[in-house]
Amino acid sequence: MRREEGLNIRIIGIIDSGGAAVYEKGLNLEEMIKTKKKSGSISSHNDYGRPGLSVLDLLDELDVDVLVDATPTNLRDGEPSYTYIRKALALRIHVVTVNKGPLALALPALKELAKHKGVVFRFSGSVGGGLPVIEFARQCARGDEIIKIEGVLNGTTNYIISRMEDGLEFEAALREAQERGYAEKDPSLDIRGFDTAAKLVILANEILGIKTTINDVHIKGIEELRKKEIDEAIRSGETYRLIGRVDGGLEVKPTRIKREDPLAIRYSLNAISFTTMNSGVHVILGRGAGGRETATAILRDLIEIKKKLVEVKV
Amino acid sequence: MKFGGTSLGDGEKIKNAARLVKEYVENNEVIVVCSAMAGVTDTLLLLVDKASRGRVRDVEITLNDLSEKHFRVIDDAIVDESVKRDVKSIIKDLTEDLRRAVLSILYLREATPRSRDYVVSFGERLSTRIMWGALTELNVNCKYLDGGDAGIVTDSNFGEANPLMEITKLEVKRRIGSLLDRGITPVVTGYIAVNEEGVITTLGRGGSDYTATILGYCLDVDEVWLWSDVDGLMTADPKIIKNARVLPTVSFNEAIEMAIFGAKGLHPRALEPAMKSNIKVRIKNTFNPSHPGTLITAKPEKSDMIVKAVLLVKDVAMISVRGASMVGRPGTVAKILETLAKENINVMMISQSVSESNVSIVIKRDALTRALNRLETTLLGTGLVEDIESEDDVNVIAVVGEGMKGTPGVASKVFGAVAKKGINIRMIAQGSSELNISFVVKEEDGNEAVKAIHEEYGL
Repeated sequence: MRREEGLNIRIIGIIDSGGAAVYEKGLNLEEMIKTKKKSGSISSHNDYGRPGLSVLDLLDELDVDVLVDATPTNLRDGEPSYTYIRKALALRIHVVTVNKGPLALALPALKELAKHKGVVFRFSGSVGGGLPVIEFARQCARGDEIIKIEGVLNGTTNYIISRMEDGLEFEAALREAQERGYAEKDPSLDIRGFDTAAKLVILANEILGIKTTINDVHIKGIEELRKKEIDEAIRSGETYRLIGRVDGGLEVKPTRIKREDPLAIRYSLNAISFTTMNSGVHVILGRGAGGRETATAILRDLIEIKKKLVEVKV
Repeated sequence: MKFGGTSLGDGEKIKNAARLVKEYVENNEVIVVCSAMAGVTDTLLLLVDKASRGRVRDVEITLNDLSEKHFRVIDDAIVDESVKRDVKSIIKDLTEDLRRAVLSILYLREATPRSRDYVVSFGERLSTRIMWGALTELNVNCKYLDGGDAGIVTDSNFGEANPLMEITKLEVKRRIGSLLDRGITPVVTGYIAVNEEGVITTLGRGGSDYTATILGYCLDVDEVWLWSDVDGLMTADPKIIKNARVLPTVSFNEAIEMAIFGAKGLHPRALEPAMKSNIKVRIKNTFNPSHPGTLITAKPEKSDMIVKAVLLVKDVAMISVRGASMVGRPGTVAKILETLAKENINVMMISQSVSESNVSIVIKRDALTRALNRLETTLLGTGLVEDIESEDDVNVIAVVGEGMKGTPGVASKVFGAVAKKGINIRMIAQGSSELNISFVVKEEDGNEAVKAIHEEYGL
């Protein structure tokens, strides 16, 4: 990456719930991972550990170029990520986030602030993990206009529905998804459709330019979807998928579609289709989540920021 | 509900305003927005000016006067001893803060836009807290907030800050929304906000009305009420036309036209947020609250009024630039406008005949000398322009009404009425939106011309 993109990332601070590790010349990542694995918090590192130091302290204290936010999603108020991002943008620090909470609740506001401060705010990893969904959509819209977005945006629920197609009851399929690590212990964000809705909001804002938040989405999850409905659909060559749709309004609900529909992908995949005015329907599909995939999305965003920095300097 | 400075002019008036709020909080969710008490903002600006010029004694006297004035108002506005004590202690702290701010300007002999905004903000902060006391005394469950605490975030263009609407919307919903949900009436300072770093800014043009419409836009309210000391927008200035009437409804477009031409206390910028989200704005009079006032909406009820109002704009001057070599030569008008823009002079009206040999413009009268100086320096002797003439004894008459759009014969009727009185028209302009016709007459004919049109249309 250093040679190809001219990107040499120095990680000068890492923060977890216990505190931080800080070293302005750049932390050694392997060492940090070892510390984290051994003691549970990065802040216990002998030389660079700073127990109790918060993100806000660190932003004040260090000369930071970019904040990478990988905190867990909170769809109730987007905190603490929302406060971190606002503070960073106010300090003219570029931000990459993969946290859907602040995006689903305040994307128009955060974009406005980033623009006002002249910094880059990127969040490719928040939708579709490693799939370059937003970039793909931009290409689709070039010289054309996207009029509808539909997508299977949540791998967990898609896995559960796929296993129900295979013959499992809902509860058994959910249990299996949890055992395999697809679903969280508390799977309600996925099952009740909120995760899909959050991603839909991000796509609507970023791709269609609709200033909207998750409060504007009609949401129905798969918690009431029964195996018998799926069996009945399959008999007529159809099936169900939890589909998020922007077509005028924003809506998430289990939708009956043809089995050969490109959105009828199986297991933990994601698929998003963009219907354009003139060039037809374009679909992108692949693995929508996972650590390595999301980390790749973060790297892509960092490369974009680097490009922007070079542009400004020239 | 926004209350203007005259509506909060003294203790009794604040009490009266509080009673009006009380009437409506029973059955509605109300947000109160307060201007500074009449005259206070000007005093604060003067204070900044005196401090920056090192006038120690003047500053001391003005500070003391200002503080005493507010304490007197508290005594008149609030009876209950414990509420009075609370408000006085809050006001005392605030006036101390103000004193410190002014003293720092005094020591440095330097006022920046930023420090000016900070000092000016005290006007609204003081009045809002007294209003809060008056409402508390009437058992209205309320809380006072500065514009920034209410969630209004702007850029750092001190003196004329622009709201960051998306951030503001989010923050206002969180902060004001949660107060309303708990049954608390927010009492918010008009005119002031904060930038992203939390430093106090002021909104400049549009002032407290703008605060009210911003909050209305963010919370998607049913109506914004602007309480002041007039019954509403009128068909003409009642000083000229005795039987001028209050207009029951006007459209946003008409209101903006009227505001531009000086309808009292209303700035077009303040109507923008309401227009964008289609929120009704009502102008009401605290001294005549039973009067329905003027309702400004996107689609007023169909009315057969072609002309809504006739406005007289005084204190203007007209400049004519002429020369045969201007004909067919691109860029002449641009040159004139550019010259004036560089001097920061606003052009109110412009008119050019199709022969292109003459361009007339109207500007504020007090800018005439500067404008002439610049235009003469730039244009005379270039061979482009033959002569530049000016008249400073003119008025602009603006005839406003959305009904004029597509109605043939309006111009002939308007100008016919004026001609019947033997008044000569010096210059005419009408935009293709057909919302208004403006023309220039000699100052001595101004009132007569307004009367003639007012009569002709039976307003």
